[in-house]
Amino acid sequence: MSEQRGGGGCGPMDRRQVLRMIAGGGGLLLVGCYPRGKGPEAAEHYWGYAVDTTRCIGCCACMRACRAENDVPRGSYRTWVERYRIAADGEVSVDVALDDDHVFAPVSTPSVKALFVPKLCNHCEKSVCSQVCPVGATYRTADGVVLVDHKHCVGCGYCVQACPYGTRFINPVDHTADKCTLCYHRITRGLQPACVQACPKQARIFGDLKDPRSSINTILRQRRYRLLRPDLGTHPKCYYIGLDREVV
Amino acid sequence: MPAAPSYRHSYRLFALVGLGLVVAVVVRGLLVPPSFGEQGHFRAAAVAEARAREPRHLGKARCATCHKKQAVLHEKDTHATVECENCHGAGREHVKSAGKVKLAVPRGAASCLACHQRLDARVSSFAQIDRAEHFRLVGVKDASTSCTTCHSPHEPLFLDRSLRESRLHPLIHRCRDCHAGPARDASLPRPANHPAIFECGYCHASIVKDFAARKHHRVGCTTCHLFIKESDYAGRIVRDADPRFCLLCHRGGSFRAEHAPPSVEWPKHREEMGGEPDQRCIDCHQDKIHLRPASATQPASAPSEKQP
Amino acid sequence: MGFVFPNEVNVTWTVMIVLYPYITGLVAGAFIVSSLFHVFGRNELRTVARFSLASAFVFLLFAPLPLLIHLGRPERALNIMVTPNFSSAMAGFGFIYSVYLLLVILEIWFVMRGEFIARAKGKGLIALLCRAILLGNLEENEATRAADHKLARFLAGLGIPLACLLHGYVGFLFGSLKANPWWSTPLMFVIFIFSAIVSGISVLIFHYNLVCRLNRWPIDQRCLRSLGRYLWGFMIIAVALELLEVMSIAYKQTHEWEILSELVGKRLFVSYVVLQFLVFSLVPFLLLAASTLLKLRDEVANTLSWIAATMLLGQVLLMRWNVVIGGQLMSKSFRGFTSYFPGLWEKEGLITAAVIFTLPFIILYVFHRIVPLFPLAAAETKE
Repeated sequence: MSEQRGGGGCGPMDRRQVLRMIAGGGGLLLVGCYPRGKGPEAAEHYWGYAVDTTRCIGCCACMRACRAENDVPRGSYRTWVERYRIAADGEVSVDVALDDDHVFAPVSTPSVKALFVPKLCNHCEKSVCSQVCPVGATYRTADGVVLVDHKHCVGCGYCVQACPYGTRFINPVDHTADKCTLCYHRITRGLQPACVQACPKQARIFGDLKDPRSSINTILRQRRYRLLRPDLGTHPKCYYIGLDREVV
Repeated sequence: MPAAPSYRHSYRLFALVGLGLVVAVVVRGLLVPPSFGEQGHFRAAAVAEARAREPRHLGKARCATCHKKQAVLHEKDTHATVECENCHGAGREHVKSAGKVKLAVPRGAASCLACHQRLDARVSSFAQIDRAEHFRLVGVKDASTSCTTCHSPHEPLFLDRSLRESRLHPLIHRCRDCHAGPARDASLPRPANHPAIFECGYCHASIVKDFAARKHHRVGCTTCHLFIKESDYAGRIVRDADPRFCLLCHRGGSFRAEHAPPSVEWPKHREEMGGEPDQRCIDCHQDKIHLRPASATQPASAPSEKQP
Repeated sequence: MGFVFPNEVNVTWTVMIVLYPYITGLVAGAFIVSSLFHVFGRNELRTVARFSLASAFVFLLFAPLPLLIHLGRPERALNIMVTPNFSSAMAGFGFIYSVYLLLVILEIWFVMRGEFIARAKGKGLIALLCRAILLGNLEENEATRAADHKLARFLAGLGIPLACLLHGYVGFLFGSLKANPWWSTPLMFVIFIFSAIVSGISVLIFHYNLVCRLNRWPIDQRCLRSLGRYLWGFMIIAVALELLEVMSIAYKQTHEWEILSELVGKRLFVSYVVLQFLVFSLVPFLLLAASTLLKLRDEVANTLSWIAATMLLGQVLLMRWNVVIGGQLMSKSFRGFTSYFPGLWEKEGLITAAVIFTLPFIILYVFHRIVPLFPLAAAETKE
């Protein structure tokens, strides 16, 4: 039975209605999802971190302290120390003390140059992890610390893939993403991160980048330093003093 | 003739779809966690949750409030920069339980060697040993001897004066400060801008000459006059005269080897010699070491032009 | 092995994440075939148009399954739609998938309304189900059929960019990740789309041949030959893009090439160079060239295209494996590799993967029992 075209909702109107519904629904969702937050200007402090690789002796007290302070499960690492050994023929070998006690063992083959490089989350200003998190579970606080919301994370692992520094992992106990928090629970109480406190050689420096007289600003003014993977534009806030060309 | 299309049969379907969308938006609004979006695209309450965790490592200042004796020794000596909790573990439970929960007291060599094992990558100015070589040098025959038999972790060097009050000394550069591997031939020509190598004898020639003729001539100057680098230009030098420091090599025991340095029992030896309670080894045995210059704080002679 | 960062020892994205783009690829490819008929009027594809649409639907139903199994917290999976972070490509999944699923369901409703009505007039549970699907409105005449046709055409047209988006966003997800040099290329979006189409056409050829042989139905030769031609064309483009990607990295020789050449030349030599390209690309190319260009008997041409389609199904799976797993084997320290084996009985193991892949075929059969996808009623072959 043929019908007259008439009344609302025939022919092209249907298409437009459907499209409008989609657009309207999508718009509502977008509005709900994208409020702007406060920037670094709003915070009292802006935390930064420096690693002086010329002072590190590879005792790994930082690794042990971090694990104990933050209940980091075995096999996962919020921070670690790399040892670079360069042989006479130029071959470079890198290792980390992955054993339970985190103690570097001597190696029988001699090296002409060897050094330690502590590593941790760089708390990037343009962090890729917070950009790619699909649910907004990883974020940057106004005082410059990149954190994970363990109650909201779905454990997809995209942030782990996105981090160029390998500092993130999926916590095998919690099944959510995890990483160094700069011991946020300590620094907001005026303490230092556990790794900084534990280091006997002041190879790890922590401080307020907003305070011109903080230890970190002092050392950054006095020494030459570099960033890891600056080519990626992540603007890391972890500054490496004495970084060797072999370190990525 | 093609019929004009009638969409009436699809109204219910599209109405259902529309209803579904509305329900979805409403449900979504209900499911958004509270505080989400207040400070950015995340749950603002999570920041407070991140701060809520209780710190577990309390720092050596807290340990010092109860363990005053160890704290005083610890602050004076070279382990002053080492946190108590590095060796003894996090202190929160110990403090919260008012001491009922005990902390670990590591006694084996493993915890000392974690820092002091000689490694290529450790700067040569940092004290590090190869255990077998160390035992050979100080005459220990029992390989299972623990470090704490001779060394006290709270007072590693028995410094008679706090490191922070020890004399400043210009930086001593030695070959191994930069070069790994076996000692270089000192007669090799050095490239331009090579840092100046200071031998103790450049300033302290007469002492070095005198020392070479005495019993301790095989011991390096810096073994007893420990040099702790403080900056790129200077460090602290100590002159360790505490008897317990000499006893590190010279105390007898079943673990000593035949070729060990001459050993005594202490304080038995001091009592036998009729010494005062605060008598030190060098008060009698200075002749085994080297002459003391007239003024203790100045080098005996100006730097000689012998520097290459 | 070299050196990998301590957190890289275990691979984060497992075979489930290989399977997910594979399945959405099958969806996109099957849907494109259906749209070739509904939108672009390729009438020789009429026989498989309904079948491919239903295949797209069924694979789409199972697409989120590997993701849910992989998620650390699957109970929070809805967060992706509740609080999506639109700077993330992955946040698009929830909406693109939902909209696309809705579109496919709507299109099936309009395309197969005649079949639903025919079944609804019967008795029993299936009739009740069909009446519920039709929302109680069994009205059918020239006007409703015209409307159905128009709406189906519109949806099929709208679905093409959506299908590209559904599969392409995965490609973009990998290609936009600057931290991983094996993944980071603007070509990834396009490569994924074209290899998806290849896999979709392949699964149709594979399944159609299988179904016809099992049920002793006559094969529509014109349709199958056309599918074979499309497959040949799309696979040339897909493989050319894949080759272009690796050759341009190899030519530029930026500092990443040192580790990437070891990845390609040693770690992935068998799965990438030998299997993905030499065996599973070159051989199907030749087989399809033969069946397309040469005058062969129908049975021979069908057999060649069936073998080629099956091999291409493997090629696309290998491509997903080499991209997803290969990219994680390589350390971001550029100094070494880790290793990965999915395990057999693990939650994210091979048995799970095999089950997830097989289930859609079973559900497609159930679909066919409710409303037949083959053979077409005589009335349909008019117009």
